[in-house]
Amino acid sequence: MIEFHNVTKRYEGGYEALTNVSLQLADGKMAFITGHSGAGKSTLLKIIALIEKPTRGQALLNRINLNTVSRHRIPYIRRNIGVIFQDHQLLFDRPVFDNVALPLQIQGYRPQEVAKRTRAALDKVGLLHKEKSMPITLSGGEQQRVGIARAVVHKPMLLLADEPTGNLDPVLSREIMQIFVEFNQVGVTVLVASHDLGLIDELDKPRLTLNRGQLILNDLVDDAAETDDGW
Amino acid sequence: MAGSNVKRRGPATTNRISAYLLHHLQSLIFSLGKIYQAPATTIMTVAVIGITLSLPGGFYLFLKNIDAMSGDFRSSSQISLYLDLGLSEKRAREVEKDIAGMDQVDSTRFISRDQSLEEFRQNSGFGKSIDTLSSNPLPHTIIVEPIEADTFAIRNLLNALQAMPEVEIAKLDTEWLERLYTIIEIAKRSVTIITILFACAVLLIIGNTIRLDIQNRYQEIIVTKLIGATDAFIRRPFLYGGVWYGLLGGIISWLIVEIGYLAISGPLERLNLLYQSEMTLITFSFHDFIILITSSTLLGLAGSWIAVARHLNQIEPS
Repeated sequence: MIEFHNVTKRYEGGYEALTNVSLQLADGKMAFITGHSGAGKSTLLKIIALIEKPTRGQALLNRINLNTVSRHRIPYIRRNIGVIFQDHQLLFDRPVFDNVALPLQIQGYRPQEVAKRTRAALDKVGLLHKEKSMPITLSGGEQQRVGIARAVVHKPMLLLADEPTGNLDPVLSREIMQIFVEFNQVGVTVLVASHDLGLIDELDKPRLTLNRGQLILNDLVDDAAETDDGW
Repeated sequence: MAGSNVKRRGPATTNRISAYLLHHLQSLIFSLGKIYQAPATTIMTVAVIGITLSLPGGFYLFLKNIDAMSGDFRSSSQISLYLDLGLSEKRAREVEKDIAGMDQVDSTRFISRDQSLEEFRQNSGFGKSIDTLSSNPLPHTIIVEPIEADTFAIRNLLNALQAMPEVEIAKLDTEWLERLYTIIEIAKRSVTIITILFACAVLLIIGNTIRLDIQNRYQEIIVTKLIGATDAFIRRPFLYGGVWYGLLGGIISWLIVEIGYLAISGPLERLNLLYQSEMTLITFSFHDFIILITSSTLLGLAGSWIAVARHLNQIEPS
């Protein structure tokens, strides 16, 4: 699903966020990206989500070269990805239902279909009873769950989460991570950036550890050798 | 999961077209909802557009009336004969009879010196000043209505009448009309220039409003881009917003012109009477109304298009 070959990302001004990062994440896998803040976790996710382009090296998503993808195709590629942000990025001018329904409306689903899938996604994160509420009236954990519902409502192949538990207490964090594990169990590839090491240890999933832009630990290397799925 | 067809997860194609139309409808209603939610901004923008468009609209209507009034005279090409001041009324009436007998003359009308003075006293507003005059300065006048003929024949008649010794001045009444037409022509071109300038102003007003709208919804644009919205999808509500501004502004400008028309219709009616014209005053026809509304709506669309083209592409998630 995701392949990085010696990817380097240097921002304007010379700051190097990623240095020679190579990795492979197979279909249906779940992995964590860990590291201190500023280690390059977000940059890695941004390259996959087509927000940033690599300065050097090659990044592939589903065999599509992310370095050279045309502007016109970006929206269609993004429709295969669900992104979850630390700060939820909900739209506060409309109720929960409309927030979650947005990806489906963008992709042109029929209203009946939109309603059905939106309610299913809200049910999955346990917020079906809040569909008419405005996001501002929800707690931090609830807002994050709305963000997750929006990210998965269109059944993406890949789920990216950038510090999804950053602002939540341990109990809520565990709940959120459990939701990701459940999605992974039904075949969605999941990549979560987090520095909540205690929680990651509990979940026993492969880790990618970044330090100042360099990949210093890659649990996926052994993994990839075991599961040769035709990449 | 293998394969790189990134579009495969979308809904079926048959649904796509209806979904496309549906999103247009949704954008239309959504942008109307946005307008409704921010009434103060909307009212101000729409009022500015309305006032701006009412100026060329009002000028246009004014000209249309003047044009119609002057058109009323166009068919008549009367010749006014101002007779020698020393001529007695009896002699003057004989001259009238002679002229009435001429081939090219359809009819004549005699206005005596006293009648002229009386008419002048009533209509000019100089009644009191006229009373101070020791003698009547106005001559006997004969209005000659030529039979229907071309300009050349009428010119010949004019020259023949001018040549008569009793006639001091022979004046073709179309002369002042021609001057009027020239003035109207100048005014028409001025209205065209004003219309173009004010249309540009409306374009800028709507462009600026939409630009602010884009800035206010920066976050929403970022988020929708991140979850796979195409540029066209993001553009649509803003374009419809511009359409609404233009449409509402057009209606406001129409109302302003109609109210203004009502306010000045009294004196205008009197002016009409003074010109002894039978015509009624004209206001916007349905055709004019449609043109006004359509052009203001198109201006709204164009203004928002400019703003969207300039500003929307600059917003990218980072």
